[in-house]
Amino acid sequence: MTVLVADDNEVAQRLCRRVLEKAGHKVLTASDGQEAVNIALGPAGAPDMILMDVAMPGMDGLEAMRQIKAQKPGLAIVIASAHSMASDRERFLAAGADEVLSKPFKLTDLTSVVDRLAVHKAEA
Amino acid sequence: MGANGWERGKRTANRGSPDRPADKIQALRTASPARGGEGEKVSPDPSQRPSPEPSPGLVRGFAPFAATLLVLAFGVTALGAGLLPTEWKQPAFLVALAVLVVVAGVVFESLRRTTASAVSARREADDLHQSEEMLKVAVESAPVGLGLADSTGRWVLVNDGLGTILGRSKLDLAQTSLLSVTAPESAPILQEGLDHARSSSARWEGEIVQIRADGTHVPVSLALLAVRHDHEEPQLVLVQESDISETRRSEAVNDALVAVRHAVATSATWDQAAPSVLSALGARLGRDVAQFWSLDADRQELKLAQSWQGDDPELADFERTCRAIGLPPNDGLLGRARLAGVPAVNTAVSPQSEPALGSAAWHAGLTEAVAFPVVAGRDVNGVIALFARHPQAVDDAVMTMLTTVGAEVGQFIRRAQTAQTLQRSEADHRAIFEHAPIGIARVSAEGDLLEANAALLEMLEHDLETLRTQAWPELLRAYDLAAGRASLAPLLAGLSDGGSVQVRAATGGGRWLWLQMTATSIPDERGKPEHVLLMVEDVTRVRETQDKLAEALEAQRSANTDLEKLDRAKTEFLSIVSHEFRTALTGIQGFSELIRDGGLEPDELRAYGGYIFNDAERVNRLIGDMLDLDRMESGRMTMRSADVDVNEVLSDTIARASSSNLVEFKSDLDPRLPIVTGDRDRLVQVVSNLVNNAVKYSPEGGTVTLSSRAEGAYALITVADTGLGIPPDEIGHVFERFRRVRSGAAQSIAGTGLGLTIVKQIVEMHGGKIWIESALGHGSAFHFTIPLAPETVAPAAQLRHA
Repeated sequence: MTVLVADDNEVAQRLCRRVLEKAGHKVLTASDGQEAVNIALGPAGAPDMILMDVAMPGMDGLEAMRQIKAQKPGLAIVIASAHSMASDRERFLAAGADEVLSKPFKLTDLTSVVDRLAVHKAEA
Repeated sequence: MGANGWERGKRTANRGSPDRPADKIQALRTASPARGGEGEKVSPDPSQRPSPEPSPGLVRGFAPFAATLLVLAFGVTALGAGLLPTEWKQPAFLVALAVLVVVAGVVFESLRRTTASAVSARREADDLHQSEEMLKVAVESAPVGLGLADSTGRWVLVNDGLGTILGRSKLDLAQTSLLSVTAPESAPILQEGLDHARSSSARWEGEIVQIRADGTHVPVSLALLAVRHDHEEPQLVLVQESDISETRRSEAVNDALVAVRHAVATSATWDQAAPSVLSALGARLGRDVAQFWSLDADRQELKLAQSWQGDDPELADFERTCRAIGLPPNDGLLGRARLAGVPAVNTAVSPQSEPALGSAAWHAGLTEAVAFPVVAGRDVNGVIALFARHPQAVDDAVMTMLTTVGAEVGQFIRRAQTAQTLQRSEADHRAIFEHAPIGIARVSAEGDLLEANAALLEMLEHDLETLRTQAWPELLRAYDLAAGRASLAPLLAGLSDGGSVQVRAATGGGRWLWLQMTATSIPDERGKPEHVLLMVEDVTRVRETQDKLAEALEAQRSANTDLEKLDRAKTEFLSIVSHEFRTALTGIQGFSELIRDGGLEPDELRAYGGYIFNDAERVNRLIGDMLDLDRMESGRMTMRSADVDVNEVLSDTIARASSSNLVEFKSDLDPRLPIVTGDRDRLVQVVSNLVNNAVKYSPEGGTVTLSSRAEGAYALITVADTGLGIPPDEIGHVFERFRRVRSGAAQSIAGTGLGLTIVKQIVEMHGGKIWIESALGHGSAFHFTIPLAPETVAPAAQLRHA
């Protein structure tokens, strides 16, 4: 399955790509919200799932998620943010996130979230 | 003696005298212009005289009655001169007087002639008979007391009038003498009168007290006239009396009323007036005791309030007894007088007739009581009671007078009480005005200051005159301004009272006070505002306290706001910092995990180690920057000031940064730039930070230019790039913490977000300024100044910078 990693931090992008590709997924990357929207709603190679950072220059992850969900409500979006106060998690879920992953995360947490959503998608 | 002669004469007169004495007197007066001849000693006893023979000698016999006519003339003159008492002016009396004088002359001359000439004795006896007839008629019919007494005062002749006055029959009276019917206290006066009559031909008049047959005294007016012939010793004294007890009583009543009025007029209170009023009533109306009984507050009893009496110990006992008792307000003599509102009399006071007072009065010998109410309007304040041991006449005049006294005293008491109440009230208000702890001013309808109390003068540090002329107009203006109207006068036209305003006013001593002014208009009798009472309180301290409190509250509020802001900023800061750390840690933790789990290629390991190192370094920088910033912001950062060559700092920085080779460095340094005073390491930090920043935001192949020059007392340093530029809306926020220009191509540039904040702090710590010029897409220029070392600065340059 294809996962879009949207993160302005290059190190984070590389980490996620390395981990997810190792787990057998195809990885696309975007460096801000607008790029993520473009790829997610683009005609070719649409991702099955998006791993979305929040604090990105230009359009932030939440706005990108709102725009994507408006078009593709079924597209699973995991918010992966360093904003990890308790209230943030609620805020992201309320904004429409399917899962919330706090940075920094254990690599197994990342793979299990992706697997879980993949199973969910397969069932649906 | 004399009685027989009177009797005989009476008989004679009955036989042949005319019925109308007045006609005879008229005849006598007409017939007697001639004077008689030489006088003769005569016996006063008519019985010794020869029998008179009838006229022809009547006319001749009257002729020499010169003395008689003189007396007659005197009487008429006296009458004309108004010397005579009122009752003497009655025509009847005048007639009687004239008759008497004539008759006396007739008798005297007849006797003289009888003895003077034996030849004419018979004729003269006739004359005498004639005279006696006339005398008898005249005396008998006189309406006043008339008599003839000899030089020792023994009666020779008396009339019924005299008997009536003295309460005796004429016969009884004839047995007495003028002296024996006169009260002992009047004897000296009478003696003086008799002496006068003997020595003078003028009439003597006086008032004496005589004793009636029943022992009672009667005041009489007395006139004495000696009957004499030429220079001889007088043989007879003509006595005329009239009862003046009625006059005396009415005079006493009038005197009592006058005395009461005087006492009341000269007293302020009833307590002052009462002794004089009671003694005037008691003494002048012939009473032994005079008392004022006042109705007590609950109108249950009459209590003795004031008492007057003589020195008699029995009367003192009576007063003591009276003081110990209370009289019923509706019963007994006093109670009845109070209840009825009119005088009441008891002429037979006894334990039976007066149950409450009678016994005490009876023991003191007081048998007559008169009580009259003291009335004010419809109220009866009390009763005045007069007690006497001997019954006194209580006629209408007395009753009327007592009623008048009762009313006048009642009015006086009410007036005095009202005056006293008013005085007390006035005194109270005056005391309040004078001693009130707050300032009070009395202001006229026109707004003029009429009066100011001590507290106001003290408060405003003025005397009345300077307050009135200097401070008052200003104070009123301030009041009017504060009250929001044109002038105080309209207050009188009906603005609502009681409103307070606070005004700011200067005292005479130049202190500024807050005054609270409250106006109350005082109406005159017609309800029209007459003047205004202005109460003035110094509320400076209250006001200042209020103001301070308000300030403190405001400061507190603003501090709270600041605290809230600070709190929000702190929360935000924490959120940002934690975000920065977690972001950096994401790479460190993730790649560390990969390395730990093993199975990596060597180049993978190297690359991942590099990521970890970079992020770790970043975390370290972040922590360093945060600590620096904290120290700077809290003032705990110490600067090691020394002379610093700015150009050298700039050159070193270029040398180190040029190793990247991504951008081109240029320098435009002023070689004459004086040294500055500063912390070299910190200045290096500033320049490096700005250079790194410029490099970061410059595209590959861009140019970073460093320049320096002196600008007044400062070194002006500029770091300019040809990079992205800063959007105008972000320029103002560039120096804020964690504020990174993220838009456009700058998005991937990493940093702690604290660099420029720290730069600004360091520049400002040196006493310099930092600012930005930027054009989006054309690059940015960061300028900052550092003060030159003091000795290198020209004064003019300093001024120009300022």
